[in-house]
Amino acid sequence: MSHLLEAFSIALRMIITGDPVVFSIALRTLLIASTSTLAAALLFIPLGCLIHFNRFRGKRFVVGFIQTMYSVPTVFVGMLVFLMVSRTGPLGSMGLLFSPWAIILGEIVLIAPIMIGLTISALQGMGKGLEDTATALGAGRGTMILKVLTEAKYTMLTSVLMGFGRAVSEVGVAIMVGGNIAGYTRTLTTAIALGVGKGETASSIALGLILLSLAMVVSILVNLLQHGGRK
Amino acid sequence: MILQMKNIRLTREKNKILNNVSVDVPKGSFFVLMGPTGCGKTTLLRVAGMLDKPDFGEILFKGTSLPGKGKKLLQTRRKIATMFQSPVMFSGTILSNIAWGLKIRGVSQVEISRRVEEILTFVGLDGFAKRDASTLSGGERRRTALARALVLEPELLILDEPTTSLDPEFKRDLLVRLKEIHSITGTTFLMATHDFTDALAIGSIGAVMREGFIEQSGSMDDIMFKPENHFMASFTGLRNILHAEFIGSEAKVKHLTVAHAGLKHGSGFLAIPPEVIVLSLSEKATSERNRFSGVVQSIERNGTTWDVTVDVANVSLIAAITTGALNELAISPGSSVHLSFKASAVHLF
Amino acid sequence: MKKSLAVSLFLLAFVLAGCGEEPQPVETAEVEASAEEVSGSVAVEPMARVERLRVATTTSLYDTGLWGYLEPMFEEQYDVELDVLYAGTGKAIDWGRRGDVDVITVHSRTREELFVSEGYGVERVPFAFNYFLIVGPAADPAGLADLSPQDAFTALMDNGEAIFVSRGDDSGTHGKEKSIWASAGFDYDTDVRTAGAWYVEGGSGMGPTLVMANEMQGYTLTDIGTYLAYQGDLELVPVVDQGDALLNVYSVLQVETSRNPELSRALVEFLISAEVQQLIGDYGVEVYGMQLFTPCAGEDI
Repeated sequence: MSHLLEAFSIALRMIITGDPVVFSIALRTLLIASTSTLAAALLFIPLGCLIHFNRFRGKRFVVGFIQTMYSVPTVFVGMLVFLMVSRTGPLGSMGLLFSPWAIILGEIVLIAPIMIGLTISALQGMGKGLEDTATALGAGRGTMILKVLTEAKYTMLTSVLMGFGRAVSEVGVAIMVGGNIAGYTRTLTTAIALGVGKGETASSIALGLILLSLAMVVSILVNLLQHGGRK
Repeated sequence: MILQMKNIRLTREKNKILNNVSVDVPKGSFFVLMGPTGCGKTTLLRVAGMLDKPDFGEILFKGTSLPGKGKKLLQTRRKIATMFQSPVMFSGTILSNIAWGLKIRGVSQVEISRRVEEILTFVGLDGFAKRDASTLSGGERRRTALARALVLEPELLILDEPTTSLDPEFKRDLLVRLKEIHSITGTTFLMATHDFTDALAIGSIGAVMREGFIEQSGSMDDIMFKPENHFMASFTGLRNILHAEFIGSEAKVKHLTVAHAGLKHGSGFLAIPPEVIVLSLSEKATSERNRFSGVVQSIERNGTTWDVTVDVANVSLIAAITTGALNELAISPGSSVHLSFKASAVHLF
Repeated sequence: MKKSLAVSLFLLAFVLAGCGEEPQPVETAEVEASAEEVSGSVAVEPMARVERLRVATTTSLYDTGLWGYLEPMFEEQYDVELDVLYAGTGKAIDWGRRGDVDVITVHSRTREELFVSEGYGVERVPFAFNYFLIVGPAADPAGLADLSPQDAFTALMDNGEAIFVSRGDDSGTHGKEKSIWASAGFDYDTDVRTAGAWYVEGGSGMGPTLVMANEMQGYTLTDIGTYLAYQGDLELVPVVDQGDALLNVYSVLQVETSRNPELSRALVEFLISAEVQQLIGDYGVEVYGMQLFTPCAGEDI
């Protein structure tokens, strides 16, 4: 117990004094996760819109499939991306494996279903009535979509945040395609996984606390947005 | 005609929602689309408002056939505004809700302010501009939705069940206002309602739908007083609907012979509005061609009048009389009474 | 759809205004050399384009901190970012086969030779050795003390209750364990893996396996380096430390398909250079009071 308390106090000191190793890992994790989230949002929010605003055969199946993929295991994505970017894989020539780009690619794949699915639910949540109201007041299709998106912005922000939350806290992809290279692809989660294995309790706790507070900030923001959206 | 819909068919998930529907809406009219819930009124309004495309059929706006899509369609669509049964408010103020339609039409900010202010007064929402749309009561929402549509100065305003789930006083208030707005603006109104009394109170012309068909259309007087079939007769609230064999200007209902003003042969229905039947204790000297005697079966209150059911040669007829008349007659079940009504008051269909 | 895309972009800009700001470079020059190494400014600019060389190493060379110690020297000498990936020998060799790494440092002679003969590796270059240990609880419930490795394993099999935690991850240490089982006369797949609940296949690196054995009060086979590095947190003591079967040789192999053969070659040369060999021999002596690795460049072992 005293061992744990001591580790905990060292961890707090590390955070308060801004331990450069801990903070560089935290910063890198933020950078990787937000790049992934940005790219995923750019790619998949429009795709979600495309699916929502168009009628096509098998739409219900597609949406259902996307929703079941919300909880796709991170190691499965890790394996998939590893096989893609390994030098013998189809994207091998790009030399992405064991670089932050590989993690970013993996996280994009990982949060794609959340982004698409939650975009669709957000738009569905706005209701057909909203689309009809905009149309009936003389909006063309583009203007109508724009209006619905504007109305759905808080809910969509929530989905972006949830994607970020998943990206920042996943470990499977980062370790499999990033390789946990110190100073290059080491993220909060992979550093914790290594640190616990090595018995480096204090720095692991420090990293864990940072990860926890990131996750909490995300969920507080999500709550605030949902509250604001409902208002 | 401002709007003509010809042979409209629309099927959703194998249900025929609209089955060969044709409706003409004259310019400047207050056209009321009636029918029970689920008869296809809302769908027809959506087709009229160009929100849904029919599977088959033609729509003409001011005599011109509508293009399938593109700028032309949008331009036409912008001359039509729809107010839905449960209006959805955009997030933001009432002002921003009402201004939105104008904004997307590129109307200048000054003009928008002027028109929004004007319309708020018009629908009785003075001082509501800055209110958050999510804080409105049902009646205020309806009025905001109305303002939001009216401010666009549409040539055709479509209203889907504008009075449902409103308190009676709001309902009356809204109907009166709608009628006023119609007469002031000269805009054509196309309103759906399942409430026949509302329709009568406000419409000049209309159509009654049932299960995707138009049962009858024409002036409200014709719909009210000249029902074309049994459904129409019961829809309009007619009572004393009797099966009859018609021979020229007479009709045989069981052993009763009823005189009417028309000329008809074969079997069909006739209806005698209870209000036109006059009761008396002795046979009156009258010019009315239908004079019968019978026995009172029951007397029941119906609103402000009384329904007296009289058995006339095994045919039950209901007469509606006032409380004064009832007191004067002093009848009770078992009393003998005489009935009379004009031949011209009998509806045939 | 164009407009919806525009909106999405707008929304995103909004989102990322909060969290996508470019972080200011953090001064990392005066960071002390610690077990957790920060490689210059790369720490905060992970997308920087610099020359990179990848070495996949067996976990024992990583967990002991040897690579962390050598890495900055090599980086400085050759002005390159050295990415050190830790994995079991099996995985490291697999990465080498796929061409995902440039150099591997592993410890399984037969597999290294196969790797070279199949044309994946340029040459097997041994650069250090030490000995494996069988460690276990001080009480030594299976009575393994002073036995040969083969006899110790036979005793474990006979005991049938005392726990043995195997790496179970196809690593070099795991390979060594299998070869000891074989020379003790057991078939690994049919005799050992099915022997009972006492035989635990951990499936992780050396460090975590030691931690696991410690938690379960069991025995395990470990390289001496990792054991020493973890000793402070463990209650396990060496039980068997004698026998030729316990020899543990680390080799460096340049991967045939390396994208940067010159630097790869330089890394091999670096490890067997007199100066670095000296450093390897001295590594950890001060901390643990004994030698972790014996340099052996040029020897055929």
